Amino acid sequence: MFKNYIKTAFRSLYKNKGFTAINILGLALGLATCLLIVFYVVDELSYDRYNTKAERIYRVNEDLKLGENKVQYSVAMPPLAKTLKAEYSYVEDATRIKRAGTTHVKKGSINIVENNIAFADASIFNVFTLPMISGDPKTALLEPSTVVITESIAKKYFNTTNAVGKFILFNDKENFKVTGVIKDIPKQSHFNFDFFVSLESFPESRSNEWLRSDYNTYVLLKNAKDHEKLAASFPALLQKFSGSQMQSELGMSVAQFEKGGSYFRMNLTALTDIHLKSNLSGELGPNSTTQYVYIFSAIALFILLIACVNFMNLSTARSSNRSREVGVRKVLGSSRKYLIFQFLAESILVTLVATVIAIIAASALLPFFNQLSGKEITLTVDSLKWLVPSLLAVVLVVGSLAGSYPAFFLSAFQPIDVLKGKLSAGFKGGGLRSFLVVFQFFVSILLIIGTLVIRNQLNFIQTKNLGYNRNQVLIVKNSGELNQQAKVFKQELASLPGVKNTTMTGFLPTNGWRNTRIYYKDATYDQKKSLFPQSWEIDADYIPTMDMKMAAGRNFSKEMQSDSSAIIINEAAAKFLGFADPVNKTVYQSLGGDRKDGAPNVKECHIVGVVKDFHFNSLREKIEPMVLTYGQNPGALAIRVSPSNISSLMAQIKDKWNQLSPNVQIDYSFMDQDFDASYRSEQRIGQIFIIFTSLAIIIACLGLFGLAAYAAEQRTKEIGIRKVLGADVSVIVAMLSKDFIKLVCIAIVIASPFAWYVMNKWLQDFAYRTTIQWWVIASAGAGALVIAFITISFQSIKAALANPVESLRSE
Amino acid sequence: MIKITELEKFYRTEEVETIALNKLSMHVDTGEFVAIMGPSGCGKSTLLNILGMLDDPDEGSYVFNGIEVAHFNERKRADLRKHNIGFVFQSFNLIDELTVFENVELPLIYTGVSASERVKRVEEVLDKMQIMHRRNHYPQQLSGGQQQRVAIARAVVNKPKLILADEPTGNLDSSNGNDVMELLTDLNEQGTTIIMVTHSEHDARYSHRIIRLLDGQTVMENIMV
Repeated sequence: MFKNYIKTAFRSLYKNKGFTAINILGLALGLATCLLIVFYVVDELSYDRYNTKAERIYRVNEDLKLGENKVQYSVAMPPLAKTLKAEYSYVEDATRIKRAGTTHVKKGSINIVENNIAFADASIFNVFTLPMISGDPKTALLEPSTVVITESIAKKYFNTTNAVGKFILFNDKENFKVTGVIKDIPKQSHFNFDFFVSLESFPESRSNEWLRSDYNTYVLLKNAKDHEKLAASFPALLQKFSGSQMQSELGMSVAQFEKGGSYFRMNLTALTDIHLKSNLSGELGPNSTTQYVYIFSAIALFILLIACVNFMNLSTARSSNRSREVGVRKVLGSSRKYLIFQFLAESILVTLVATVIAIIAASALLPFFNQLSGKEITLTVDSLKWLVPSLLAVVLVVGSLAGSYPAFFLSAFQPIDVLKGKLSAGFKGGGLRSFLVVFQFFVSILLIIGTLVIRNQLNFIQTKNLGYNRNQVLIVKNSGELNQQAKVFKQELASLPGVKNTTMTGFLPTNGWRNTRIYYKDATYDQKKSLFPQSWEIDADYIPTMDMKMAAGRNFSKEMQSDSSAIIINEAAAKFLGFADPVNKTVYQSLGGDRKDGAPNVKECHIVGVVKDFHFNSLREKIEPMVLTYGQNPGALAIRVSPSNISSLMAQIKDKWNQLSPNVQIDYSFMDQDFDASYRSEQRIGQIFIIFTSLAIIIACLGLFGLAAYAAEQRTKEIGIRKVLGADVSVIVAMLSKDFIKLVCIAIVIASPFAWYVMNKWLQDFAYRTTIQWWVIASAGAGALVIAFITISFQSIKAALANPVESLRSE
Repeated sequence: MIKITELEKFYRTEEVETIALNKLSMHVDTGEFVAIMGPSGCGKSTLLNILGMLDDPDEGSYVFNGIEVAHFNERKRADLRKHNIGFVFQSFNLIDELTVFENVELPLIYTGVSASERVKRVEEVLDKMQIMHRRNHYPQQLSGGQQQRVAIARAVVNKPKLILADEPTGNLDSSNGNDVMELLTDLNEQGTTIIMVTHSEHDARYSHRIIRLLDGQTVMENIMV
């Protein structure tokens, strides 16, 4: 009996090859897309879970408020880790990590630039799960001048993982002994370093300063529940340890400090929350946000729903064609139970086939998807553990749902009615089907609007006037290597034809150094009126090189000796200070500590100019106050070049570099590329959105195509009669399209306000953003209508052009 | 074999109530070949459906082989039907997705006959209907006459006591139609009771007795000699 059902199922599917292909491929496409997104989401959620003690690890953060300025740091004070371990019995261990800057590592005779170097306490290997291939994790970083490296680094520098006891030369001067080789850190980690240098090597790591924060500090609790207890003890801890230092440094007690509206607090972030929920100052690497996890999960669900809806729609539409088979089977003695079983089994079988195709497609597309999403997802045996059961569940649920209509509905008919063809008008009265079509287009329109808004925002970012010109600016990132020679290098470059301007500083709007200082507005040194701006050290060439504009006053000048105490502020700082005309006003830079008369130690600064606001953070954030001071900072060299003949100019620049520093390679980039890099996540999201939207629309259209074909087929006789009676092709096309177009219109009406609301929320994340124009909604709606109409009319026109004699004779 | 008494069947729409069968009584003995005739809408098909237990009467009694079946539920009817009654339709009603062999095999599957026995019995009946050479073809590859032979083969494969035929020659040309009538006559001579609805006086002449219906009532019975 079972064999007979399978046989009928296969032959029936084969006979309706077109339908079957649309049906299976649509579902497979949907499932494959959904799978890829699920991989992405699972990857995002798996960050830092490789740590066996993940549940018990917390990072200590700092919240600082000074006057009106608030900053949240992911770093804490140097003595905090050891203090926590000593003070609280429920803290099993604590460790610190600090990112090192770009460093040169000697291999043979050449220096290689390494960016992933960190300083760490010896306890790092107790807190984090970083399995050591060779060396003793307990003692590896206890001694000064020791370093633990990853497997790949060991192979890169020593051609073996057996590198313990060998030496690594950093920056041509410091020799470190390798005391351990660990496995490469999994990609799903919020930090990814290749070298861990022992913090013991640096005296400042033993600093007892409680008013300085520069170490990412992690605690390992004996019991995860104790994190609340620990967080509650922070105020007392700060009072106990930082109180006296605050008194001597700032000249006030913690109570006085807080009375002024400022505060200094600590809190905890669970290790597993860092990647998705933490975006503080001083993170060890770029983190992600839960927002995209939610958005992608929703898209995955939507696409799966669209595909399932299609599958159900087409299956049920086709099933009425099989009412005759049901009738015959019933007349011949089949019971209802068997028929229900038959249709369910058939539907589940088809779903299974689609699922297998989807798995193959998803794994084939994985490399492409990885490239698109910037991930390195691989399928492992572990992932199969949850994948296989959940896919089986999908197969059962989708298969049963799709099969349930024919199974329960058709099998309930009186066989004689079915045989007499009383039920052949199966398409009419498809209320459920109409609802499903509306739902599909609702989702499609939502995605189209989402895509358009993201594109518009990206476009807005690309074209927004940032207050400086990022084009044709070459940044030499390691000019600090040249030390005193850096100035010489700058002068030599300035003389090259094609170089318009050069400026030397590590502080750049795209990326680079950041520094904050405290400035008092007046000699009352009132905390509440203090400014906590970015404070950048620049030279007189900075503003012209960056193509920034002055709003008032003047630029720094090499000729003016007094400019050592001059500052230029941005418009945001001017607004914050509230001066009507800031030029020539004096503000006071806090130097820390007190003078003999009890007033704070300050330096008088004269505002010589106001620079127009320029964006030095992401456009997600508002432009903050900024103070530019005059000096010679060798951190990097920015060179404005003329667009013609860049390659020969580059060669000349490299040549000059090599003359000055033959051992170190020049490290450079273009400013516009750096800028683009900071919006890479948005660009990726934008691309992924476009692809998923297209897929959703294709799947929805496949379904509509099938339904339209079916509707036309159902009405062949009606069309024939109408044509015999003189109906035009256009009348018939309109008649067949009308029903579907109505459904798409309903979808537009429902989807538009919803999409507007959702995308507006997304835009709120950007301090600088576009608005959603009416044409975005209109073009999404029009697009959906056009696509739907083309899809339908393909079938309608075919039906309308058919010879009526043929269709009438066949009845 | 069949005895119906004062059988009534109505069809109701919102406005009209149509009487399909109006206190109809009749009986058919085992081994008879009965033709039912009458103009369109006289209730022939309704009667045949009730006789075949595809439909149930609103009033009256239907005794099949001594069992009152008028108020049987669908499952019981299906059970009785698959063991005792074979159907032949005007439009053949073969399943397009199944081959000739598989179509004929279906009733045997539903009555739980073993696979080897099924092969034997299907081959036997296909042989008898002279369509053995077409056993692996699909219905749409056959002529109308051949399709009706397959349908008859399917109706008789389970060795039913009764065959109900609804205009079996209606879609066939006269030569194929005669072949089908010959087949039915042969079956009847081997002991199968046959009740056939037909429009054709020619076909009706193959039967032993013609029941003529008008407006759901028997108006005349002709005994053929």
